Amino acid sequence: MTARAPASPATGGRPTARGRTVASARPISSGDAVVHGRDLPAGFDESCDAVVVGSGAGGAVVAAHLAEAGRRVIVLEEGPYYRPEEYQRFKPSESVRRLFRESGMLAAFGIGETPIISVTMGRAVGGSSLLTGGVCFRIPGEVHHRWVHDLGLEQLSERALEPAYEDVEKRIAVKPVPLEMRSLSTTRFVEGAEKLGIAMHPISRNTGDECEGNGRCNFTCPAGAKRSVDVAYLPSALRHGARVVSDALVTRVLTDGGRAAGVEGRLLGGEYGAPSLPFRVRAPMVVSACGTLHSPLLLLASGIRGSNVLGRHITLHPAVRIVARFDEPVNGWDGALQSAYSDDFAEEGIKLVSAYTMVNVLAAGFPGVGPALRKHVRQLPYCGVFGGMIHDEGGGRVRAGAGREGILTYEMSPRDLARLRRSITLLCEVALAGGAREVFTPIFGAPTVTSVEGARALEAARPDARRTECMAFHPLGSARVANDVRRGVVDEWGECFEMPGLFVADGSVLPTSIGVNSQVPIMSMATRFAWGMAERRPAVR
Amino acid sequence: MSTAPTPDRLDWKRLGLSAGARATVRATTEALLCDEDARGRLQPPRDGLVNDVVDEFDHSVGRGSIDLRRGYRVLAFVLEWLPIFVIRKPARMSRMSLDDRVAYLEGLESSRVGLLVMLYVAFKVPLCIPAFEEGEELALTGFDREHTTSRRRLPTVAAAARVEGEPVEASS
Repeated sequence: MTARAPASPATGGRPTARGRTVASARPISSGDAVVHGRDLPAGFDESCDAVVVGSGAGGAVVAAHLAEAGRRVIVLEEGPYYRPEEYQRFKPSESVRRLFRESGMLAAFGIGETPIISVTMGRAVGGSSLLTGGVCFRIPGEVHHRWVHDLGLEQLSERALEPAYEDVEKRIAVKPVPLEMRSLSTTRFVEGAEKLGIAMHPISRNTGDECEGNGRCNFTCPAGAKRSVDVAYLPSALRHGARVVSDALVTRVLTDGGRAAGVEGRLLGGEYGAPSLPFRVRAPMVVSACGTLHSPLLLLASGIRGSNVLGRHITLHPAVRIVARFDEPVNGWDGALQSAYSDDFAEEGIKLVSAYTMVNVLAAGFPGVGPALRKHVRQLPYCGVFGGMIHDEGGGRVRAGAGREGILTYEMSPRDLARLRRSITLLCEVALAGGAREVFTPIFGAPTVTSVEGARALEAARPDARRTECMAFHPLGSARVANDVRRGVVDEWGECFEMPGLFVADGSVLPTSIGVNSQVPIMSMATRFAWGMAERRPAVR
Repeated sequence: MSTAPTPDRLDWKRLGLSAGARATVRATTEALLCDEDARGRLQPPRDGLVNDVVDEFDHSVGRGSIDLRRGYRVLAFVLEWLPIFVIRKPARMSRMSLDDRVAYLEGLESSRVGLLVMLYVAFKVPLCIPAFEEGEELALTGFDREHTTSRRRLPTVAAAARVEGEPVEASS
C-alpha cells in the first residue's frame, strides 16, 4: 500500500462542509482509465461536465451515453474494481464477500407480520449487474399504462421507452435461453406446469449465444457470457474519455446558487486505521445512480426534503423458492440458472420463475443440524428448485444508519403476505405434478410437503411470516418519478425538482413496483434520461 | 478452503467478531457440521474445516459496515445466552456438549417464534456457504465438477454455429 498524506490548507486545500480539506484543482493522480481509489496517494479536486455516482445498471449506462455524446464524465463508485478475468474466478463465498453489499448479509427488517427479507445488491464497479441471473424483461404494458393514465407520466409510456429498450437489448445481447440450455431441474417444473395447464415461457437473458449453462450467474459467470454493464457499457465510456474511480464514497452533493455543482466524499478501502482521503468533483450535471437504498441517503444528506416521499414506499419484489426432491437425479447445476417463467398468475401479483444456484448455497438452505443437514445435502443431485416473486405494493423505507449503510425496514401488506403464501402453494403443486416426491418449503420448521392437500393446509395454517425464508433482488422506488413535486422526487427526465442539475438514474426512480426483473427497466430509464441530459445540457468547454 | 486464498490488496483481512463472538460462532459451526458415527454418536467436524469456516465468516463480517459488525456481535451474544430459554439448559452455548448444541440449534430452527428462527438462519446460511464449497463437503452435494468455479464443458450455441459454418450474430 502506498502511504497517504491528506491534503492540508497549507498546500492549497479548502475546508469542506465537514471540516476536512480537499486539494484545490488537484487532478486524479493516476493515468489509468479505471482508478483504484484506495491506491491513490492523495485526494483530488477535479472538474468535468458530468459526475456520475455509482457504476451499476443506471450509472454505467448514463456514463456511456454522456461520454459518447462528447461530455467529460467521471464515474465514482463506492465499491472495489475487479476486472472480469479476476471476478470470474471467484468462488461463491469470495463473490459474496468482495462484490455483494454487506458481504451478502444485507436484510430488510420486517415490521409487523413481515418476513425478514434478505436483499442482494452489488457493491463494485458494475454494481448489481455483476450478480444478476441475467434475466431480461421489459416493463409490462399494463404497468406503463398505469403510469400514463393513473399517474400522468406521459414520457414513460411504452412507446416513449421503446427506442431505449431496443438500444439496451442490443448492447447487452438479450436473447431467449435456448431449450438445450434448460436444466433438468427447470424441465421437471415445466412438465409439472404443463400438466396443470400453466403456460411456461422461455426467459430472455443478457448472455447472447455464449451461455455454457454453468448455473452460477449470480456469483459471476466463469465463462464471461453475461453482459453486465462493466463489459457492455463502461468500455465505451472509457474509450470516449470517461474516467472511473473505485473505492470512492460520495457523501454530499455540492450546490451553487441552488443548483447542483458537484460532489464531495472520501476514498475507502485503505489499511485499517489509515486516514481516509477526501475528494471533490465539480460538475454542472450530477447523476445519482447509487441504487434504491443509497440514492435517497445521498439526497437527504444534500438537503433534499423530497416532499416526504424520499426514501419511502420502497418495493422489493419479495421472492421465495422451493426445493423439490425427485426420484431420479436432475443435477440442476447443469444448465442456465434461469430459463423459464409463467405469468399465468400475474393478476394475482405472482410470477413463477425458474431458479437454481450453486450447490453450497442450496446446501445452506436445507433444514436440519449436523447429521440431519448432511443427510439432506446428499440428496442435492435429486433436487430441483423453482421460485415465485410477488408484485408488491411497497412498504419499504430506508433511513440513515450509524455507518455508511442505511437501515431498511419493510412492512408487508396483508395482501402481499397472502400472495407470498399462495405462491408457495402454487410452486408445491407444480413440483408435485412434475413428479416430486417431497417438497422443502421456505417455511422453517415446517414438515416437507408430499401432497397438494399438505401444501394447501400449510397455506391455511398461516405460520408466522418471520419463519419464511424470503429474498429480494429488485429494491425500487425510493426517489420516484412524478410530474408534481408533491408526489415524487424527480421529473420525467430524472431531474430533481428541488435541485436543478441533480439527476437520479437508478432503480429508485421507478414510480411503482413493476413485477419483473429490474435490470432492463433500470437501464432503459437511464438511457432515456441520458439522452435527455445530452440533448438539454450542451457540453461546457 | 483447501487451497490457500490468494493475497489480494482489495480484500485485506479485517476481522469483525470479538473473541467471545468468535467462540460462539465456532461452537455453532461445530454443531451445524457434525456427523454421526456407525453407532449413532455425534462426531465433531474436522478442526481444519471449522477453522476455515469461522475465519471466512469473521472475514466477511469484517468487510461489512460498522452496523453489520455491531449487529453480529449482538446476535452472537444472544445466541450464546439463549439455551436456557430454548432447551432449559442453564449453560452458555459455547460451553455445552455437542449433543446439547445440536438440540439447541434444532430448537431454534423449529421454534414457532419467527425471530428465534431468524437468529438461527443469520448464522447458519453464512457458515454453511463456505463449508460446502470445497473438498469433502462439496463432494457430499454430488456436484460433479472439481470446483465451484469449474466450467461445464459443453459447446455454446455460438460455438456450435461456428462449427456448422453458420453466420453468428454479433453479441454487442
